[in-house]
Amino acid sequence: MGTSTGTEQGRRSVWQLGFVIPCLLAVMGLVDLGLRFMSIDPLTFRAWEALLRNRPPGAAFEPNRQYENARSYGDLAALGNLPALRQYRAERFTTDALGFRNPPRVLNEEVSAILAGDSFVVGSGVSDDETLSSRLGTLMGCVVYNAGSDAGRVIPDEILSVARRLTLRSRLVIRLYTDGAAVPVPPTRGEILAARLAARMPEAVRVAAGRLRGFLTVSPLQSLSGRAWKAVDNGSMLPNKYAASVVKATLVNGDPMLFQATQVDNFHRRRELSLGYWRWLRDDLKKSHFDLFVVLVPGKYEIYRPFLVNRQPLHPGTGDYLDRLERALRAMDIPVLNLTPFLSAEAARFLERGEYLYWLDDNHWNVRGTALAAAAIREHWPLAETVCTTTHSPAAQTP
Amino acid sequence: MLFNSLAFLYAFLPITYLVFWRLTGKMPRYVWLAISGYVFYSFWNYKFCTLMLFSTTVSYLAGRGLLRWQEPGRRRLCVIVPVVMDLALLGFFKYGNFAVANLNEILPWLGSRATLPILNLVLPIGISFYTFHTITYIIDSYRGVITPTRNFVKFAAYVSLFSQLVAGPIVRFRQIEQDFERIDRADRTSDLHTGWSFFVIGMLEKVLIADTIAAVIDPALARYAELSTVSAWLCVLGFAYQVYFDFAGYSDMAVGLGYMFGFRLPQNFDSPYKATDIADLWRRWHISLSSFFRDYVYFPLGGSRGSRLLTARNLMITMVLVGLWHGANWLYVVFGAYQGLLLIVHRLIRARWERLPQWAQRSATFGLWLLGLAIFRASGFRMAGALLETMFTWHAGAAMVGASALVVTLALAALLAHWAPNTFEIRHRWSPSWVASFAVLFGICLFVLYGARPAPYIYFQF
Repeated sequence: MGTSTGTEQGRRSVWQLGFVIPCLLAVMGLVDLGLRFMSIDPLTFRAWEALLRNRPPGAAFEPNRQYENARSYGDLAALGNLPALRQYRAERFTTDALGFRNPPRVLNEEVSAILAGDSFVVGSGVSDDETLSSRLGTLMGCVVYNAGSDAGRVIPDEILSVARRLTLRSRLVIRLYTDGAAVPVPPTRGEILAARLAARMPEAVRVAAGRLRGFLTVSPLQSLSGRAWKAVDNGSMLPNKYAASVVKATLVNGDPMLFQATQVDNFHRRRELSLGYWRWLRDDLKKSHFDLFVVLVPGKYEIYRPFLVNRQPLHPGTGDYLDRLERALRAMDIPVLNLTPFLSAEAARFLERGEYLYWLDDNHWNVRGTALAAAAIREHWPLAETVCTTTHSPAAQTP
Repeated sequence: MLFNSLAFLYAFLPITYLVFWRLTGKMPRYVWLAISGYVFYSFWNYKFCTLMLFSTTVSYLAGRGLLRWQEPGRRRLCVIVPVVMDLALLGFFKYGNFAVANLNEILPWLGSRATLPILNLVLPIGISFYTFHTITYIIDSYRGVITPTRNFVKFAAYVSLFSQLVAGPIVRFRQIEQDFERIDRADRTSDLHTGWSFFVIGMLEKVLIADTIAAVIDPALARYAELSTVSAWLCVLGFAYQVYFDFAGYSDMAVGLGYMFGFRLPQNFDSPYKATDIADLWRRWHISLSSFFRDYVYFPLGGSRGSRLLTARNLMITMVLVGLWHGANWLYVVFGAYQGLLLIVHRLIRARWERLPQWAQRSATFGLWLLGLAIFRASGFRMAGALLETMFTWHAGAAMVGASALVVTLALAALLAHWAPNTFEIRHRWSPSWVASFAVLFGICLFVLYGARPAPYIYFQF
């Protein structure tokens, strides 16, 4: 009898909120912790998120990884939680030992140029053989190293760190700058120091640091919960709170096209040029005997705004940022190519056929856009005659 | 840092709790509470910690002065200096730009071409609460209601007590003085379950009710011009329950956290939607604020001791100040004046009002409160006008996204707000099946919090 009462009391003391809730918190914490040891690939819709997770310092992505997804879709459809507007496509994304999007063998080949910049360089929604660097390599017959990363801003120390690991045939950096990206400013002393520190870290430490950061900052449980939220905030059960991040517009041919809301706002604002970064980049690369070639890439909104139904009017002094930047860079004797006129003309031509240079559901250019950009750069390739004619790179032949 | 954030639940609370109960003795616990309060506060903006420290120091020194001096002149100085300083801080950060903007409107009328610059000010979070903590301390010390403490750390721990720091309740020193005094003898387990019970209920009120309602009405109100009459009423009704469960939820979590650390914080909401008249509602709504204004503004003005006209004046001044306390905006002034008017009218018709059946009194009180909330929620006079116009003239309008979810949540919210006992009326002795249900609901809250940035509490902006 006494034992039974004791058990009963024990059961009662366990079933108290002061015990159950802390236990629940602990269990949830442990589940979160446990899931962090697992791959997040099944929870991602594209390579970007999956391969950023364990990125070592100084690298763009997790090194030596291959990510494949047969049903990848655009960042804007994901950002705005608009599943009906997704354009599904297959994506294969391979990284080399340095953590950049290149075939692993590229480290054993002679590199003619380093292509640096943001996601337009990395290639979003396109497979390995369709990135800008691959296209350029194919067209030119030489190897172009893809050093694109999510950090849009390029720091020469990072380029040098990559360059030290490559066999360079020539010392050319092609810097892609996309309209809509943040206006770059020279890095702080701390950032330069961090870049140098990362470059000097032993490989094993860098990899471990990347994994640790991924473990601490990326929670698969958070991704799962985020997915659940998006399923509920779908615009019918609850208002879609994500939709405000994108602008859904209609093209003259009736096709819907998504744009990033901030990009649209930026385009219609007067933005002041800031040339400090470009001057600093040129001078710093020069010190290391690198030439700089700048390629200016128009944002999707700039290209397709003329073809939108109910487009916003353009006020004087807005929408010409790249043109002004191009002129300013020329004045600074920095070789520059502005892709805006070329891509605008091509976009108009292809639109008549119902074809596009940018994904309808993504910020980035698609396979066609990438190929056209490569062709335009080919026309202005600063080293075309000097370095890219002798050997034909096997990498360039690889699809 | 928000109570409904993972950082709070997984890092701040466990560390603060475990260290607090590992320490023995008053002084180490005061020190720890003060440190944790400042750490908690620094998550918003560490720079404003100095402001809080300044206000604390000035009030503490004034308290020491009141202990030391008995001459009326010096004692008055010990009250006036810190209260003026606190109000100056509050005035500068909260009302500075409001005053400048209004002056800039008035100056051309006076023939001046000068315009005063609008300052780029950030309102330090919780300033409306902790300055009121220190003001009550000084005035109560002056009045002899409390004996000022000689222990600076204890006072700093009181002002920065994290559970009540940023959105109240406005706990007076006398209300928790005893708990501070016996902090070394507090029993960790005696109120633990009650504390968690308050905390869990507060979390459910915030995350499952208030935030769900907000998810539907906020986007709808952002396009208020397109609302139908039915949607406008649903939005205002939704806001009434949102603001109640948001703030009552926060207060319950604060009380629960207090219990976990051996403090009994006072009740801040006493089922206000069960009120039978507007005076009753204000006795039940944000009790710590309304009692502050009652004790430190309304009574010193004369309260209801004078003529009807004087009482009306006192009510109006008090309620306009209550409105203004919520923010530097003429809308809040109008909201306060509206509440003042209701209180005055209620005093005039009290006898007839009380002859109404109770359900009618409650319904009418709630209805009048709703109209005030339409003003309170609006972002400007245009929106307030449009909202009230849509509510009282027929507009077909577009269907509201999430209306079904809103109606279900509102039904649940109404049931809880109008008929269920409040957290101070329940015994917090739960059967295993209730505990299991709470655990499931709390688990859902946690899962929700994992995937979404925690929604800030409405009252944080005040």
